[in-house]
Parts: sequence; C-alpha cells; structure tokens
Amino acid sequence: MKSKITKLSINGFEHIVLVNPDETLVFTLRERLNFTGTKKCCDEGTCGSCTILVDGIPVLGCLTPTVRCVGKTIITIEGISSKEDLHPVQKYLVKNGGLQCGFCTPGVVMTAIPFLDEHPNANREKIKEGLSGNLCRCTGYKKIIDAVENAGKELKV
Amino acid sequence: MEYYHIPSSVEETLSIADNYSGNYTYFAGGTDIQIYRKQKLDTHDHIIDLSRLDELKSITVNKDHLHLGAMTTLDDIISSDIINSNYPLISEAAKSVATPVIRKTATIGGNLLVNNRCIFYNQSKEWRDSIGSCLKDKGDICQVTGGNKSCYARNVSDTATALVALESEIIFLTPSGSIQKPLTELYLPCGIKSNELDEHSILTGITIPIKAEKWWYRKLRLRKTLDFTSLTVAATVDSDRIARICLNGVSMSPVLIKEALKSLTLESLIKQARKNCKTVENDLMPLKYRREMINVYLKECWETLH
Repeated sequence: MKSKITKLSINGFEHIVLVNPDETLVFTLRERLNFTGTKKCCDEGTCGSCTILVDGIPVLGCLTPTVRCVGKTIITIEGISSKEDLHPVQKYLVKNGGLQCGFCTPGVVMTAIPFLDEHPNANREKIKEGLSGNLCRCTGYKKIIDAVENAGKELKV
Repeated sequence: MEYYHIPSSVEETLSIADNYSGNYTYFAGGTDIQIYRKQKLDTHDHIIDLSRLDELKSITVNKDHLHLGAMTTLDDIISSDIINSNYPLISEAAKSVATPVIRKTATIGGNLLVNNRCIFYNQSKEWRDSIGSCLKDKGDICQVTGGNKSCYARNVSDTATALVALESEIIFLTPSGSIQKPLTELYLPCGIKSNELDEHSILTGITIPIKAEKWWYRKLRLRKTLDFTSLTVAATVDSDRIARICLNGVSMSPVLIKEALKSLTLESLIKQARKNCKTVENDLMPLKYRREMINVYLKECWETLH
C-alpha cells in the first residue's frame, strides 16, 4: 500500500508525517513521531494502555486508523500536563501508589480524565466500570480506583 | 487517499464500493475489523471508512417506532434518555458490549454485522498456520468438529440478541433503493457468511416497533467486561402477552423462540432452545457448561417473564 503525506494535530502542534493507510494511531505516534508516552501493549484493544484523546473522546490507539484522525485534535499523555504541574489524576496516582511498573498508567490517565469530565459525581462502582477496559497487572486496581476517586473530589472543588 | 476512502455520504459510499467490486472492507467503528486486519483474516485492498457519515448517526422516535442510525455509537445509545426510559433492553445490551472506551467508537450497525467467531478462526496467522486452516479461513475442513464440512462459528452480537427479541427491522440501501425487512432475515444459519448483505448494499438504520412490557437480559462471559459472549439471552413480553426469547452466542445466527405466553411452558422453551442451538466446542467456556447455562438462564428468564 502506498504511503501518504498526512497532517496531524497532536498536543497543539501540527505534524506532517508519511503514513500507510493500514497504520494505527499508536504506531504513528510511537514509531514515526516518537511520542513514546503512549504504550502499545496487547495491540488488539484488550488492555487500554494505548488510550488517546481524539477530539476529546478517548479512543484506543491500536484500533484507530491514523488517517481517520486527519483534521481532528489528538491529545496524548504528553499533552496532559507539564512536569511541574501534574493533572490531579496523575498527582493522586503518584500520591496513592496507583502505579508500580507504570506501563498501564498513561492509558489509565487518558481514560480517567474524560471519564471524570463526563461523570463528575461518579461513585466508586461507577469508576470501576469506567476503568474496566484498563488492565493493570501490578496494583490490584484498588489504589488506582482510590486515586481516580480522590482526583474526582479535587476536580469538583 | 488511494486505499483508504472516507466518504461523506451514503451515495458516495455505494459508488466507491461499486468501483472495487468486493475488494474492500467497511470500517464502521472499526474496533473489531481492525483486529481481523492485523491477524490477516481480512486482506481486502481497500478500506471504506464510514465514520464521517453523519446522516447515519441519529436516535429518533417516529410515532411508535424508535429509529437508530447504523452509525450511532453504543455509547450514544447507553447515554440516550429516550432509550433508557423506553427501551432499557437495548441500553442494557449495548452496555454489555466490550469496554466503555471501545463503546465510544463501536457502532450499533457494526455490532449487528459483527463477524462470526470461533476459537480456531480468531487467532493470529502463525497460530492458524501451525494448526492448519479451517473452513472459515482457507482450509477445507472444520477443525472444531474434526472434519465436518459445515462451519459452526458463533454469532456473537449482543445488540442483535436484544433487537431480535424486540422484533426490530433493518433498513438497508441498495443501488435500486431502500429496503426494510425483519432483522431475523438478515442472518444466515452459516458460520462463514453470517449475513446476507451483499457487496452492493449498506445497512443504514434499525427500526424498533415494539415496547416490551417485561424484559430480561443476561450475558455469559469469562470476565465482566470486554469479552465476547459465550451465551446471551434476551427476552421480552409485549402488550399482547407474546413472548419473544432470543439466544445468541450458541449458534451460527440468533435463535428466536416466539410464542404466546399462555401456551408456552418452561419445558417446551428449553426443548426448543436446545433443539435450535447448534452448540459445538468452539468457545473458551466448555460445551457442557454452556449447554447447562442455557437451561439456567431460561429458568431465570422464565421466572421474570411470568
């Protein structure tokens, strides 16, 4: 298949990149543009590690064709906050011990942020359901749920 | 782009499709078909991405009918007040599909036309090559049954189960015009070609005529999230006391049992279900367990319907 020059808007900057029509967004971001914050794990939509925001909606990078995102606003984990000023979800993940190896964390953050925007009053059960597509093999989930719950409380204030 | 087409109207879609005479794949949400492409189960040269067909993204109520555009995402269905208050069964079925993030991309039309699945087919290319191809792939025998000449891949559409139980009709557009027919007639009792939509037609919407007075829905799967179904049962009773019980995930197409509630007994319901379901050992859950669960679910369902 022939590659095509494609313009993508990622974290507020325009990127011009050569992509294959069959290529997925996570591949373009990691291999062509070096946005390695987004993790590629199962590559079949099972684990949620590659969650990215496209026009504010969380999508799985491993299932989204890159060319579908032309003209849309892409936000990756790199675009969520600066080093000094973490987003509350990130802050509480650190504070509550919601990460160990950290491989699932970008996906958790990118799922939790739009989830809390949509459900500011989400209870614990609802948070569990909202994050049910994110697999973590280290924490046993309790601390992740704690972190998202606390971040939700802070964001509401 | 030469190989990736993003049409902005249904007519444009059909004309692109017409140009490539079957050598294309439709991407609705693309959450399932993308995996088929990665596993080399789908090798068509052209991709027609339907994500910009905004005319097919609608939830409307006309008179007594609910109309869903084929490109409505499952998440839109779950968060729709009209559906939650009038058709909770549809919302419950949509909620049981995949994960919350996938549901934001996955569409109702895509879910209705989801490919039939089998543990000997939905595997990586290396896995399939090592064991020898099956009928649904490029081989000439069924690996599950050890040499049978027919394919038993299961229909795994959860929303189809609910929509069949609600006696829905589908609308599809062909070059000669729009056609409406019952959803049950879309499915073929065949694992390889699971529906009869041909390459010149496109599913545009679903119409749901009846409101259920009582309903019941349950999905059996290994985990509470993400997994495809091992057995889905949806049941409704309408105002005329007609029961419609639909089972899916246990046969090549949804199995519908429709009878007046007063003449139906639990024994005859189980008997009909067991007779019509072509269950074979093609799921992660053991066959014996799945068969037993048909009885369990139908018993639970029976208690609610009565």
